[in-house]
Amino acid sequence: MTVQFDLEAEIQRLLTEHDRIAEQGITVHRRENVVVLGGEVESAERRDEICRQITGRFPEIEITCDIGITRAQAPSEVEEIS
Amino acid sequence: MIRIAAVGDVHVDKDVVGRYRPALEQLPDRADALLIAGDLTRHGTPDEAKCFATEFGGLAVPVVVVLGNHDHQSDQQQQVTEVLTDAGITVLECSSTVLEINGHRLGIAGAKGFGGGFAGACASNFGEREMKDFVGTTEDIADRLGESLRSVRCDALVALTHYAPVPETLAGEPLEIYPFLGCYQLGNAIDSAPTALALHGHAHHGSERGRTPGGVPVRNVAHPVIKQAYNVYQLLSETVDSQLVPA
Repeated sequence: MTVQFDLEAEIQRLLTEHDRIAEQGITVHRRENVVVLGGEVESAERRDEICRQITGRFPEIEITCDIGITRAQAPSEVEEIS
Repeated sequence: MIRIAAVGDVHVDKDVVGRYRPALEQLPDRADALLIAGDLTRHGTPDEAKCFATEFGGLAVPVVVVLGNHDHQSDQQQQVTEVLTDAGITVLECSSTVLEINGHRLGIAGAKGFGGGFAGACASNFGEREMKDFVGTTEDIADRLGESLRSVRCDALVALTHYAPVPETLAGEPLEIYPFLGCYQLGNAIDSAPTALALHGHAHHGSERGRTPGGVPVRNVAHPVIKQAYNVYQLLSETVDSQLVPA
């Protein structure tokens, strides 16, 4: 249990503190022997870099990447504030 | 009527340049100003600030921003601010600006804000020097944001922060990290003035809507929350039309 918690914490810190990533919005969940990454980032390059860095740091861990790219289309509605 | 476009946490670097621009080119048909709630860049470098200015500058509407924690990562926030200011973008930090829009005065007071937590589960200005420095920073920023809000003379007043002023818009984030996502002191500052709308970012997994204890509407406009290039909010309405663009 301790090992599982430490792994998730270390991945979270890697994602935040690594100078090529700096992402704080990625979720990390362990399923059996697979680590599932979730959340959204601003570019495919950033998503790929996240997976590359985790695989490089923890080569024995199988990674499943569910990270999406946040949509950036113009809105079609307005909200009235009252 | 005033229409405000807003987004936060766009985290621009060279890989992101061009993603927002198609939607931004349509913005002047949809809103009168663009407000951005911090985390403009990924690491807070001047080069990334130039990328942000390329993407979000040069619009036909005023652009007003606050910095976020990512924009402080390289300890170059002053240089980042200069790059943005040189590009015609207004950067607020415990300060305010007034925009003349459609015969109305839109006041915007902004600050990055800071963490500290919320009523019943907040940090106190007590104990170790590091703890007192942490909460002292929270209190100082909130006090100065309140002064900025109360100093503005306008028809509609908007508070713009990166950190959250209420816990409601954090729903979806782990409870354990609420103290790192915002503080109740920002909500008190917002309630100390006749604020019409409070906008913030920072909480990527949070919720969109909340209200301060005093009843001010709060909107979390973090990009992963709103899931589009920007939201549009209408103030000082004479008539209500929820469609931005005629069908």
